[in-house]
Amino acid sequence: MGSEQPPQTSEQGQEPSQSFRSQKSMTKAERRELQEKQRATKAAAKASGSTGQANKPATKQPEGGGEKSSGKQSGKQGSGSGQSTQPQNQHQRRASRVSGVGGDITRPGGGPGANIASDLASRSINPRGVRIFSHFGLQHKSGAGKGLIHPAIVRLGLLFSDFQITGANARCLATLIAFKHVIQDYTTPQNNTLSRHLMTHLSAQISHLVAARPMSVTMGNAIRQLKLEISGVDIDLPEQDAKEALCGTIDSYIEERITAADQVIAQSAGLKIKDGDILLTYARSSVVEKALLRAHEEGKSFSVYVVDSRPMLEGKKLLTALSTAGIPCTYLLLPAIGSVIAEVSTVFIGAHSLHSNGAVHSRAGTALVSMMAKQHSIPVVVCCETYKISETVQLDSFTKNELGPLNGIFSTFPISIPRESLATENTTNLEILNPLYDLTPPKNITAVVTEVGIIPPTSIGTIHIALGRQIV
Amino acid sequence: MALTELIEKSSAGTMFELSGVLDKGTQQLTDRIPNSISLNAGCELFNLFVTVATHDLGSLSDFKDKLVRQGNRYIAEAALYSEKIAGFTNGFVKDGSVILTHSYSRVVMKALLHAHKRKRISVYVTEAKPRGLGLKTYETLTAAGIPCTVVLDSTVAYVMDKVDFVLVGSEAVVESGGLINATGSNQIAIIAKHANKPFYALAESFKFRRLFPLSQYDLPTHGPGVLPFPRHIPEAPPAPLINGQPLVDEFKDAMFPVSISTGSWTQKSMSAEQVALNPEVDYTKPDLISLVISDVGILTPEGVSHYLVGMFAG
Repeated sequence: MGSEQPPQTSEQGQEPSQSFRSQKSMTKAERRELQEKQRATKAAAKASGSTGQANKPATKQPEGGGEKSSGKQSGKQGSGSGQSTQPQNQHQRRASRVSGVGGDITRPGGGPGANIASDLASRSINPRGVRIFSHFGLQHKSGAGKGLIHPAIVRLGLLFSDFQITGANARCLATLIAFKHVIQDYTTPQNNTLSRHLMTHLSAQISHLVAARPMSVTMGNAIRQLKLEISGVDIDLPEQDAKEALCGTIDSYIEERITAADQVIAQSAGLKIKDGDILLTYARSSVVEKALLRAHEEGKSFSVYVVDSRPMLEGKKLLTALSTAGIPCTYLLLPAIGSVIAEVSTVFIGAHSLHSNGAVHSRAGTALVSMMAKQHSIPVVVCCETYKISETVQLDSFTKNELGPLNGIFSTFPISIPRESLATENTTNLEILNPLYDLTPPKNITAVVTEVGIIPPTSIGTIHIALGRQIV
Repeated sequence: MALTELIEKSSAGTMFELSGVLDKGTQQLTDRIPNSISLNAGCELFNLFVTVATHDLGSLSDFKDKLVRQGNRYIAEAALYSEKIAGFTNGFVKDGSVILTHSYSRVVMKALLHAHKRKRISVYVTEAKPRGLGLKTYETLTAAGIPCTVVLDSTVAYVMDKVDFVLVGSEAVVESGGLINATGSNQIAIIAKHANKPFYALAESFKFRRLFPLSQYDLPTHGPGVLPFPRHIPEAPPAPLINGQPLVDEFKDAMFPVSISTGSWTQKSMSAEQVALNPEVDYTKPDLISLVISDVGILTPEGVSHYLVGMFAG
């Protein structure tokens, strides 16, 4: 790339006029290449002129972190948004990646060091790579909390970014409990009302959590309900009473829409389990686990295939829970599912969220499991509380997803495999993708078990009638 | 109807007792009639109606009167449902249509007779063994002047390409949008889907049920008594001997189909026990059904659940 740069700069004068006319005729790949070239030359020009590259990553990273969530949101709002926003995202992403991948690449000082750095910067990122998930930023550790972040939230952010707490229900519960602490410790400043100021106070906490890990639909729905409650707080109410009332609503939300809902779902799902059934489940859903344990307590005899997948290997925890309870289980990895699927009676899966068109957004690999089951005419039952319902429509796995972290991704391989033989980090020609979710279309799902009943996936949009209130 | 009378005659003192009486009555009806799916639907609906109705009347006897009146009105309206459905179905019948139907269904009868008034139709009806109710359809239609032919259950695939659309009645329409109807409906639906012919199910709204079978074997009517393999294989009867040689001539069998008189098996038709092992109703999945035509409207299978959610949970 370095040798190409001088001729490019001379072409640069010609290119824009030509390119504006012919950009529409170029393919997307060619347009992207053009962008990269233009940016590379800009970066080179800047680097040679100003201080070394070292300053750039340092300043870029926190900005990149902060802008990432906003960039992602703008990316969400308009996938057809102009190329102006895309270059910014890519620019920051590239800059942060330069610092993340090779800290030793950046050297202070200008001149040859900076040129090499810019060379490597433009070379390390393959312009053709990772297009499908390029609208998601990479994971990065959230920086030290800026402003007044409550220690419970700081702790939660760390737990999220380290994937110590995973699962839609677990994250929502942890968030709500942390918010209870925040509300208890909160004092309204002078000349302010609780209902207005608490909202802004909480928003700061929420953005800290979002920076650690993108918000789940469950968290989003719960927070929206909480904000609704806060805005409805009576102004004349003394502060302690208001705070207690809010904590009370949080408790009742958890009780109604998570705990009690789980019990109802476990009961309804249990009706679909008969003696001698061979069930199959994927990864680890807290609701499915409860349903299976409850059915076993009721005395039904069945066996379970626990299908798991790397890198998270969440199924191991489910396997432990089920086998300690005495349910005969078999554990297998996702690629082996074809060998066992023919014997299965019913497939039970959990969900991260449900969408209005009936699609199920769940752990990556669920779509495969449902597709296989459908091929063999095996009913697929999704166990999901109503608070996981999102009003959006999702048609594919790309528009809304999350990339998992790469560190530790290969720690689950057995020690006998030498680490050198595994590609553990991004290199010049290799980029590792770890999407965490995928989408199961409604045609592969037989039934959805919610606390308001068993419904076909196409009826998810009518749940709000059953709930008798605005769906949150 | 029976339940309305039950309310009239019961001397229950409180609401709680009344619902207890109703439940017992439902249970008795259900126990008495073997194929209780559609009956259950009606009872469910009635029970729901009773519990949801407003309680702003003073005494219980007033309330009972009100319920009885409502019940009677509902019964009267129910008779009109099939008229409404016949009217809706008429829109799908073109002049010269060839219609396939299964077994006997009052709603389908009404729809066909209604269509016959203005348009020319021809009807294939399946025999629908073992009950053979298809023959009842045949006689009724022929008496009304509609050209009708009885089709063997196994010949449905043969005639499907000649058919314009399939029309069946229903025991129940379930939450998934699927259909529970006499055995054979699922088969016809699969063949129709394969031949790209529309499959319409006619059902009054009181046949909609909140049941959700995941598959055939999740039906309440299915159990270990349905189509089991025999545990003790009965000894095969000895083959008849002619001139000391067993009556098995491969060449002859290939050239001349074995006629009944020289056949080497003993049973001529299924015995009653064998028939009893077979299911009476089967479940048709919603993706095989084009439309469910009912008195509340012409619904897609997905729409059935929307209606049910609105009715039972609003």
